[in-house]
Amino acid sequence: MKFYSVHVEDRERVGNYTLLHYCWPHSVEPGQFVMARSNLSPTILDPLLARPFSFYDHEGERASLLFEVRGRGTALLDRASHIEVTAALGRGFAINASAGRSALLGGGVGVAPLKLLSGRLDQLGLHHDIFLGFADERTAEIARQFPGVTVATMDGSVGAGGTVLDAVPDLQAYDAVYACGPNPMLAAVKRAAGEGSICQLSVEERMGCGNGSCNGCVVPVEKGGYVRSCVEGPVFRAEALAW
Amino acid sequence: MRERATAEKLAVELCGIALETPLIPASGTLAKEALGEVEGVYGAILPKTTTPEARAGNPPPRVAETPAGMVNSIGLQNPGVEHFLQDLGAFDLGLPLFVSVAGETVDEFGALCGRVGSDERVAGIELNLSCPNVECGGLTFCATPDSVEEVVAACRRAVPGKPIFAKLTFEGVVENALAAESAGADALTVMNTIPALTIDAGRQEVLVRGGLSGPAIKPLALRAVYEVSRAVGVPVLGSGGVTSGTDVAEFMLAGATAVQVGTASFVRDPKEILAEFATYLDEAALKASDLTGRLRYIYG
Repeated sequence: MKFYSVHVEDRERVGNYTLLHYCWPHSVEPGQFVMARSNLSPTILDPLLARPFSFYDHEGERASLLFEVRGRGTALLDRASHIEVTAALGRGFAINASAGRSALLGGGVGVAPLKLLSGRLDQLGLHHDIFLGFADERTAEIARQFPGVTVATMDGSVGAGGTVLDAVPDLQAYDAVYACGPNPMLAAVKRAAGEGSICQLSVEERMGCGNGSCNGCVVPVEKGGYVRSCVEGPVFRAEALAW
Repeated sequence: MRERATAEKLAVELCGIALETPLIPASGTLAKEALGEVEGVYGAILPKTTTPEARAGNPPPRVAETPAGMVNSIGLQNPGVEHFLQDLGAFDLGLPLFVSVAGETVDEFGALCGRVGSDERVAGIELNLSCPNVECGGLTFCATPDSVEEVVAACRRAVPGKPIFAKLTFEGVVENALAAESAGADALTVMNTIPALTIDAGRQEVLVRGGLSGPAIKPLALRAVYEVSRAVGVPVLGSGGVTSGTDVAEFMLAGATAVQVGTASFVRDPKEILAEFATYLDEAALKASDLTGRLRYIYG
């Protein structure tokens, strides 16, 4: 896998998350991801693997990644002045331009690709409602960057109490649903969306390589067996997934 | 095209097959989607293991990171040998094509080798002997030298005219190498991943029970290549944690004729590994084919 060394232009603390910005002059589609790591990783080889992150935003030549420090890889990424990233990978969201009403649902750090998606929908003049669910007030801080958002928190400290689905009055009223978050949340969104809408889910899986080689990041599919989320996804039509 | 001097510097020969470089992708680490990234790097192509029938593979999680390595448990996900051969053209980069095979019984191994070996595009076959032998209570084919000998002999009978490589595990590697050689293997791949376990303490669950790969296992693989190379007369394909050009050189010095790159290709551009190896050769004023077994002192 080819990595590019990039300078971290800016880093913001947003509640429990880090928002990191770097220059990326190439095109990016909402829902696509990169493998990223500290620039020390190729020298020290530990942690070995890069981590997958959906693009949070891409404005002009500025790309943004949103992540939560969970282990050694993200801890190093959180401190590095230079990081290494791959080019944009995977299949992102297919924007449904004919949908009358669209809903964007995100859970936790999985809200990341919805920022870029929301921006693209705005550019196309496509109205959409955004619903984001978090554990608590600290993780919910990122929601301030989504104008007009409806928020739910598990502890009820911000917005409605409960999951993101508790913040949505009637999901079946939407023609298009775009969601990203933990897989149990996505399975619940799939059930709640029913069959009347075009529902796309961006899955979260542990990844090894990011280019289809290791077969590590699979999800079960309705046609039987598993497919790789890095090349066949990470965005899937809900009906394709066996959840 | 490589310049003639560079081409001569990097070329090696494995079982009578000319390889432009000594690097080969380790089985299961190079998807057809990634072939564009490896142009000019490898001397042969080796796709993911194929089996007689399609296999869905194991449910996720399949990979976990460990210190300087990773543990995987993919479960030999593949579309089965007939689909595999239909798709094989995707791996045609004009390089020798080696195919990794796995069966659940000795007869399955033999039949699969016959099927794959009859395809004229296939230059050699690697036997993935780390899979369970259902006739031996699920112990792997590498569990005993007798088991290795029996399965290699069956594959040898099925493919009399093409090289077969027996891919061995770390445990018992020298005894198994001798058994594979006596059963007619043309070369030995040393070694496969090492059995390993990761646990999610928070959930109090096993995370991934599978095989460890990456730089963490390199010294073990190097030792195995060294011991096996001294014990057998057939060529050895070194494999296990090769991550840099210097690593390639070390495996060849330990006795390998060719070297497989696996997990490292997930985290590095394989072109860089080849470039580092070429630099090593320049600085040492040696050709790749000079390196095999060229250690100044032999220990033990």
